[in-house]
Formats: sequence, C-alpha cells, structure tokens
Amino acid sequence: MKKRTGVFVCHCGINIAGTVDVKKVADKLGKHKAVAHSEDYVYMCSDPGQNLITNAIKEHKLDSIVVSCCSPTLHEKTFQNAAKAGGINEFQSEIANIREQCSWVHKDKEKATIKAEKITRSAVERVNKNESLEPISFPVTRRAMVIGAGIAGIQAALDMANTGYEVVLVEKNPSIGGHMIQLSETFPTLDCSQCILSPKMVEVSKHENIKLLTYSEVQEISGYVGNFNVKIKKNPTFVDPDKCTLCDECTKVCPVLTSDEFDLGLTGRRAIYMPFPQAIPATYTLDDKHCPGLLPIACGKCADVCDPGAIDYDMKPEIIEEEVGAIVIATGFDLYEKEEMGEYGSGKYPDVLDGLQFERLCSASGPTQGEVLRPSDHKVPKEVVFIQCSGSRDPEQHCAYCSKICCMYTAKHAMLYKHHVPDGQAYIFYIDIRSGGKGYEEFVQRAVEEDGVVYLRGKVSKIFEYNGKIRVWGVDTLAGKDIEIDADMVVLAQAMRPSKDADKLAKLLKISIDKDGFLQEAHPKLRPVESVTAGMFLAGAAQAPKDIPEAVAQASGAAAKALAILSQENLFHSPQVAKSIPNLCTGCGMCVDVCPYDALSLKNGKVEVNEVLCEGCGTCSATCLRAAIEVKNITPYQIYEMINASLGG
Amino acid sequence: MVNLDDLKKEALNLLKDEKVKYIIGYTEGSNGTSAAPAFIKNPEDTDKLVWNPGCFHNLTRFLRDEKKRKAREKHPDERPVGIVVKGCDSRAINVLLQEKYIKRDDVFILGVSCESTGVIDEKKVAKKLKGKKAQKIEWDTNRNLVVTTEDGTTKIPADEVLAERCVECPVHSPVVYDIFFGDKIKRTTDAQFKSVEKIENLSQKEKWDFWKKQFDKCIRCYACRSVCPMCYCDECVVDTISFAVTADTTAEEKAQRIKWIEKSPTPSETFIYHIIRAIHLAGRCIDCGECERVCPLDIPIRFLNKKLEKEAKSLFDYEVGFDPDQLSLVSSFKDEDPEDFIR
Repeated sequence: MKKRTGVFVCHCGINIAGTVDVKKVADKLGKHKAVAHSEDYVYMCSDPGQNLITNAIKEHKLDSIVVSCCSPTLHEKTFQNAAKAGGINEFQSEIANIREQCSWVHKDKEKATIKAEKITRSAVERVNKNESLEPISFPVTRRAMVIGAGIAGIQAALDMANTGYEVVLVEKNPSIGGHMIQLSETFPTLDCSQCILSPKMVEVSKHENIKLLTYSEVQEISGYVGNFNVKIKKNPTFVDPDKCTLCDECTKVCPVLTSDEFDLGLTGRRAIYMPFPQAIPATYTLDDKHCPGLLPIACGKCADVCDPGAIDYDMKPEIIEEEVGAIVIATGFDLYEKEEMGEYGSGKYPDVLDGLQFERLCSASGPTQGEVLRPSDHKVPKEVVFIQCSGSRDPEQHCAYCSKICCMYTAKHAMLYKHHVPDGQAYIFYIDIRSGGKGYEEFVQRAVEEDGVVYLRGKVSKIFEYNGKIRVWGVDTLAGKDIEIDADMVVLAQAMRPSKDADKLAKLLKISIDKDGFLQEAHPKLRPVESVTAGMFLAGAAQAPKDIPEAVAQASGAAAKALAILSQENLFHSPQVAKSIPNLCTGCGMCVDVCPYDALSLKNGKVEVNEVLCEGCGTCSATCLRAAIEVKNITPYQIYEMINASLGG
Repeated sequence: MVNLDDLKKEALNLLKDEKVKYIIGYTEGSNGTSAAPAFIKNPEDTDKLVWNPGCFHNLTRFLRDEKKRKAREKHPDERPVGIVVKGCDSRAINVLLQEKYIKRDDVFILGVSCESTGVIDEKKVAKKLKGKKAQKIEWDTNRNLVVTTEDGTTKIPADEVLAERCVECPVHSPVVYDIFFGDKIKRTTDAQFKSVEKIENLSQKEKWDFWKKQFDKCIRCYACRSVCPMCYCDECVVDTISFAVTADTTAEEKAQRIKWIEKSPTPSETFIYHIIRAIHLAGRCIDCGECERVCPLDIPIRFLNKKLEKEAKSLFDYEVGFDPDQLSLVSSFKDEDPEDFIR
C-alpha cells in the first residue's frame, strides 16, 4: 500500500537553516513517491509549528510524518503528540536528525544540504515500514523505597510518606541520621545540627507509612519501573528492641573496647553499644566483629546482666522481600581518607584531624562535651591551621573535582574554634573561596572580620610533627612568601567521595556511576534527580558533593518524581520493543544472556520477550546471528531500506 | 595407543544393545591417505571402522543433518547418535551444547585421543610421496608417519606432515566423551597462534593485497560453510536460496527478505561473505580447520578464524569449547574487559 507521508523541515532558527538549505530539502523530498506533502518552517517545535503538522495531516490525508529537525531525544515525543492530534498513530512519526547529525557538524552548505536530504529520505523509508503500535499498559505497585537514611533519605521518605504512600526506608548502619547527625553546627546560621535533624528522625520512627529497616542492605533487585522486587538482608543486632529497656547495664560489663565510628575514632565504644543517645531505632547493637565470641558464646556477660532478656545470641540475618514501584537512592558520601594524604602525615598524627572529627570535637555531645582540645594531650590548641582542598581539586594525586562544601564548613570551623578559644588564632590555607549560596559570602566575611581568621592563599606542601607541635610548610601566593606555622592542631578539609560500596549498589540497581564514582544523573541539567533507569531517583551527596539545603531540595525533588509514578494506577511503556521470529530462532540463548533488562527468556527452545521489561535497545538484535529477533519499527528490513536511501543519489 | 579393536568392540556393543541409533565414525577411504565418514547402523558393519592419521574430518557437522532429520520425523527415535570425535571435534560438541543446538543426551561420544600426534595434511603428504599413491598410513610410536606405497614403506617425521592446526592444537584429546580411547596425554603448545603471526607481521597494504588475491579466487561454492559444524543456521545472510520458508511464512515476510549480499562472486561481495562468516564464528570456531581443508581454491580461511580466536583469548581471556555452560563470547562481559576502543 502506498503511503502518504508528510515531510516537515525545521529551520531551528539558524541552527539548521544556517548550514542546510531547508527549502531545497523540503522541495526535493516533496518529489519522493511516498511523500504527499512537504514544507519547511522556522520552529517546528513551536505551537504554530505543531499546529501546522496537525493541520497538514488532516488536510492532505497523511498517514505518516517525518520531521527533519533536532535529535529525537529532544522532540520525538512532541511530534508523536502532534501526529496523534492529527488523528494518526503516534508511531507513524519519525525524526530525521539534521541538526546534531548534520548542520551542527558541517560547514559546506551544499554538501550539508545533500546530507540532510539523505537523512530525511532514509527516515521516510523507515516510517513507510512502521507498524502502528499502542502503548503497553501495566499496573503500578504504589509503594516506594528509599535507600540510605541520612538527611536526603529521611527527607525523601517523609515527603512521600506524608502524601499517604507507604515507604520502605533502608539504612545500612544501626541508626538513621547519616553524617548530618555527627555535625556540630551548620553554616551559615550556626544552628545545632542535631537539634534540627532529630525531630525529623523521630518523625520517621513514628510515621505510620514508613517501614524502617536499619542495619540492612539491599542484596538483589529485579523488576522494572512501577514493579520492583527488592531483597534486603537485615543483619542481626542480637538485641530485641522491643524487650530492651535502654538500662545500659550491658555496656558496663562488656570487656571489649573498640574505636567509636560515630566519634570517628576520637573515643571508644563497647562491642555492644548504642551509636549515639538520639539513635533511631533507640536500641543497642551487638557488633559481632568485635564481640570476643558470639558463636560459640565465649563471654556472655551482656546477656547475664540483661534483666529483660533482650539479648539473643542466636539471631540470624534475615532476608526481607519488598515490592515497590519507585526507588530513591540516597547513599550519601564518605570523607576521602586521611591515610591517602601522604603529604599531610597519612593520618599518623593524632592532632591532625579531618573535618568530621573537628565537628565531633566542637559538638556539645562530642567526646569533649564541646571543648576544643588536642586529642594527643587534651590541651587547648592556641594555633590551629585549617587546610582546604585537602584531596579535592588535585587531579594528579587525588580527586579532580571540587567538594563544594569545604570552603563553607572551614569558615564555620574557624569561627566555632574562635568561639571556643577566643584567644586562639585560626589560619586557613585556601586555593579559592567558593561561597555561592544564600548568606554564604557574608558568612565567610564574618569569619574574617569578626573572628580574625587569617586566610592564606596557597597550598600546604607538607606537615610534620616538630617539638610537640605540628609544623606546617605552606606558601602565601599573594604575598609571595613561604609560610611556616607551628600549629597545635591541623584540620584537613578532606574531599567528599561517594560512600563506600556505592559502586556495588549501583551495579546491583543497574544504574551508572560517573568517573568519580558518584551516581550518574540522567541529564546533568534537565534530569538531575533521575537515574538513567526508569523509576530510580537520586538524592543527596550520592549524586555529587552538596550541602544540606541542596541535599534536602534534591530529596524533595526525587520524592516528587517518585510520587509521579506512585500516583498512577497504570503506567505506559513504549511498544517499540523486541519481537522474536520463531522460525529463525534456534534457541541458542545468546540474546537472553546479553539482554541488559532481563526481558528475554527461552520457552520451548525459542526466545520470548517480556514487553514490559524490554526497553527496545536492540542489543539482542545485534547479537543474534540468525536475525531471529528484531525491534519493532527499527527492523533489519527498515535499516536496509534506510541504508539504500542514504546511499542512493 | 588407541586400540582400534576396543573402538570396534564398544561400537558393536552399542549397536547390539540398541543404545544408539547409529554410529558416525570413520572408515577406509578410497585414496589411501584419507579416511571417509561412515554411518554404521548394522552391528556387523562396525568392523569397517578405522582410526588412522587420515581421520581429519570433523564428524560433528553431521549432527546438523541428524537434527533436521529428527525434526521432520513424526515419531522420532529418541536414542542418541554415537559419534567418534577427536579433541578438536569434542570442543565443537561443547559449542553445540552451549548454544543449545543439541542436548547432551542426543549424542553418545566415542572420544579418541590424538596422543602425541594428530591428523595429516593430505597436501603435505602428497608432496612427500611425489606422485606415488599411498595404500596405508599409520603413526609409529616415535612420531613418524609410516606410509605404505607399492614401493614399500617410508617413514616421514610427524612434524613434516601434521595438519597445521594439530601443531597449534591446545587439547589433543577429547574434552567431553562417554568412552575414551587411547592415552590421556597432557601436551602443551607454545605455538597456538604461530600461523597467524605470518599475516600479522605484514603491513596493512600487504595484508590487503594478500586477502584481495585470496578472495579473488573464491567461487562462492560455500564448501567452507557446508563443512562447518557451527554454520547450522537455516537461513544464511549470504544466500536467499536458503531462506527458511515454512507454512506460516507470510507473503510480507517473504517480501521483506533482505538481500544484504549479491550472489555473484565479485570481490566486494566475496570479501563481505568471508568477513561476516569470520565474525559470526568469533568465539565459536574451535579450529577444526575443515573450512580450509575443503576449499577447492586453497583460500587460507583458517587464518581469519584463528586471528579472531587469538583476539578473544588475548582481549577477553575467552576460550571456547571447554565448558558447555559458559556464556558466549558476545553475550558475556567482565568488569576488567578492555574498553580502550570506546572513545
């Protein structure tokens, strides 16, 4: 049957028309035997442009359209809708990309015009063999999962739970709160971090729509947007939180002393412990890595003193399966290890701290109850050197990127230090001061003007112990002088890096990571909270270094994106999916193995497509030696015709 | 040493006990050096089986015909087919299993060890005999080929007459079998890809000229395809004649059959044929060398497949035919796979 195709050539201002003679393309294509109508217009994606298409379909009784314009990633949907508005099937619309693939990459107008014609002609051939398809509808599991319960995860979970949907919040540590709960005060307002976060933590624990799984890790995931099946391993805490009365008798008898993660090694804790007083869930955890003998029980002192009998040494890891429709990933960050910084003592010197340790030192709930003291001899440090960009912005040795928050928190640290030690002196070595943000620049100025912090523009080459002090060798590039300071304490603004094992989780979830290991967003500008996998959203520092307000904003954004899925009973899936040709299939299963979406399976020796899982990527089609599987509307036959059209004169 | 009588006895028992449908093996050929494939159904014919240096055919190719025959039968005989295989051939069985083309129960494998030798290259032997006709050939225990002609017997060192693939062979004895004949000798080779080096060392222009000359000879008889155990597709990209047409093939499907390659043996089309075949055999070819042996124009087709075998091994540490459960080369990846070609 002869097709009646309409060809619409877009000028895109001068983006296309500057290099391609669009009128000529439209004229030439108008002579094609399958083309019933062709015209050009300055902005096809504009409202009048779309109307022009819709009207032309009706007027010229078109049964298919080709729009020669920009990349289909931008306006394929726009013109599919225009086709639909004109009364034809949306899959009878194809894009000929004459911008990214032609006008933008060529200079010679004559040749570019010929190429644009060929691209358009091949799209006409393709659309001539397109099937009319209907979107595939499938139901949605209307619950969400949030992985990671720092501030971003907590915010996303609360936002979603407050709209009435059930949320499963998974956290690998014994308590929620993340790094924010470790902080002392927050810039630029210096409000107490715990005071603003703990109400949210309590809200999480009391929320009827939130199912909290702490000390738990995602093990396996299957399914697709709207219907994920997640297997979670809940590690045993060996303490029954329902029986535990928080009497604290167990920690008194525990013979083990190990370094405290919450205080970053500045204090110790027992093998049975509560991470911090405001921990949620408020219960103890028996750390089986440090307990002298759990299986078989070699010590058993804690159980002996536990009156309510809350301690159960036989507790086993539990596998919990959850069905959810959308997932928010907020796995946060870790600090770049001090051990990596050879020039700054590889973490050997006790009085060289990282930013988080200094937060604990300033915190009212910290190891020194808010007094700033040297960890080595508990003396008040009179001179403190803060080093910014420690590990950041150093592509040769460490991380190439800017960790974004260090300028601000170092100013805050210096300020807090001065508040604790008014007669002390704070020095800050910096490369640049990056204080973009509401009230941020004023905050840095305040540190200089009110607290007399000395900012030295330059890098520190080396620090080492000297006469009970930390000698700092740096340079002041503004004064052009070498600087030597014998400091009592040095604080390194360590780079932020993705949290440990985030890469493994990303692999499990089949989302990508960027070159630095942060989770990759679908589009750096226009889809910053979406992952490339439908139904999975990103929040917080897992995606890139960011401060609290940004993490919270992104979390709410991710929650809104997830809610857009949960609020629907059914989702629709593109019908441009793989189709098997059973006659040719030998059942070798190579396509099954290669499918990145687990959409294929073998049944009675032939391949079968799960259309909801299939994303139409065509990997199967490329792998099959026998051309026994192809993707609808981009079949080998269509490709063959397209090649012919682009080769033909 | 492989005891032929043992092989005959086992074959006889298999047929007598009706454990197998028939046995694919080797029998005496007509020209003295080459054996011939034999299909033995009657127990008494098992005496015709031979095992000698001329058993170079890869008999697994016949499993394709067996599968097609079985598919046509209304009440197929479900018993396995007995098949005599060498080390290389046994790897072909593993590939067919990996690709789920056959099931393990479909075959009863009589694995024969090549021990310290292998099979001959007929052309090399013919050259040595200088026109004389061999009546009988066999290996002695010192890696010599003992050739009996009308003038008596002569001894030729194995290395002078072995097929090139046997010199480069990494296995020498079957890796999958039901009964094993001969000694399981562990033999290693450090020259697994020696023959391809000759071509690799050529300049780009020399390579092009070499292959141009070679492919110019090709008459597109498809003997290489016919003899290949991996070329089992019903429909081959190169010829529209073999397109599968069944009762439910629609007119539209027939109309949409694409002629990617012209039938005529012009250089461009012939190039494409050989390149496609080589690519389709990447990670599947087990180097039985049959394609090259049967080529009437002496095109060194094996180089192409061997080169891809080498690439698969060096880039992806992938070797085919040892594990029927491994994923295929193109459908598997490891995190540490090189990706410097992605720019």
